Amino acid sequence: MVSELSPTPGARSVRADGERPQPPLPVKMVIAGGFGVGKTTTVGAISEIEPLTTEASITSVAAGVDDLTHTPEKMTTTVAMDFGCVTLDPTLKLYLFGTPGQERFGFMWDDLVEGALGGLVIVDTRRLDDCYAAVDYFEHRDIPFAVAVNAFDGKVEHDLDDVRWALDVADHVPLTVFDARERGSVRDALLVVLEHALATAEQ
Amino acid sequence: MKGDDAMTAGEPSAIDDAGWEAEPPASFVRPFLLTAGRIAGGDSLVPPIPIETQVVATDLGLAALDAFAFEQHRDIIAICREPQSLAEIAAKLRMHLNVIRVLADDLRADGQLALYAPAHSNRDVTVLRRVIDGLRAVPDSRGAIREG
Repeated sequence: MVSELSPTPGARSVRADGERPQPPLPVKMVIAGGFGVGKTTTVGAISEIEPLTTEASITSVAAGVDDLTHTPEKMTTTVAMDFGCVTLDPTLKLYLFGTPGQERFGFMWDDLVEGALGGLVIVDTRRLDDCYAAVDYFEHRDIPFAVAVNAFDGKVEHDLDDVRWALDVADHVPLTVFDARERGSVRDALLVVLEHALATAEQ
Repeated sequence: MKGDDAMTAGEPSAIDDAGWEAEPPASFVRPFLLTAGRIAGGDSLVPPIPIETQVVATDLGLAALDAFAFEQHRDIIAICREPQSLAEIAAKLRMHLNVIRVLADDLRADGQLALYAPAHSNRDVTVLRRVIDGLRAVPDSRGAIREG
């Protein structure tokens, strides 16, 4: 059996062999959005390591995901995924995974996203339609998420209310503006997601 | 001849903490041969091991380090002297995540790796609060932390 780490540090058991280092509790968040929107920049701004790239499999769905009348054509695709991490304390490590995907098709990241604390959907207001798939995904999977407009060059071309209207996201989904290059700004955007996740969990 | 140096393929590549800048040569052993065609994830009925699962070599694994027939097994044990996630192992060894999932689970079954899966913590208020507190303490590029 795979051991499960206890989420509370006080309850960590001393292992029988007692010598190998006890790993931290790993938690993860997902950074999503269209191609070139700044996912890797976001991860790199806050990660304590240079973002790493690994090959992973995602399932892309050729037909509409919501169409229950027939089985959609499913295809497993290997994609490159960038990720980084932040050690929050010796017992807790946050991983940030930039989710890959053929942006305009339906796709399923269940294999990568299962257990994520929340998602951050990055939006470029010049190409809003690139992020619909990510918004749809988090909504359908009931994963707490926030939408973050990446202010390229410190400028946002559209009013946030217009962005919310255009994306058709529910009122309870937080919408924020951030700069993917700034560590403090990325941190605050992630905190928006986590505070939303906490409020949802406490309901 | 200078070119001969590049032809010493198959020689064990040195694994050390600082060595990841150099790209390791691609292995002659195809990954899915090692997994005997088994794959993780995808349409597999077994739920895949979460990608952030922490992996640590056991004393048994480290003791067997020189005895592995395949360099992939040895490489996994060697970098897991320090705890790492499955995703990090896959990235550093340049192997597909689903191959690492299978190989790590094999090594776990043999007692050579310990795997620590995250508890189902995404709805756990205590965990969320700890992550929020930890993240607030991360300074921005000017060194300022976020006021709670």
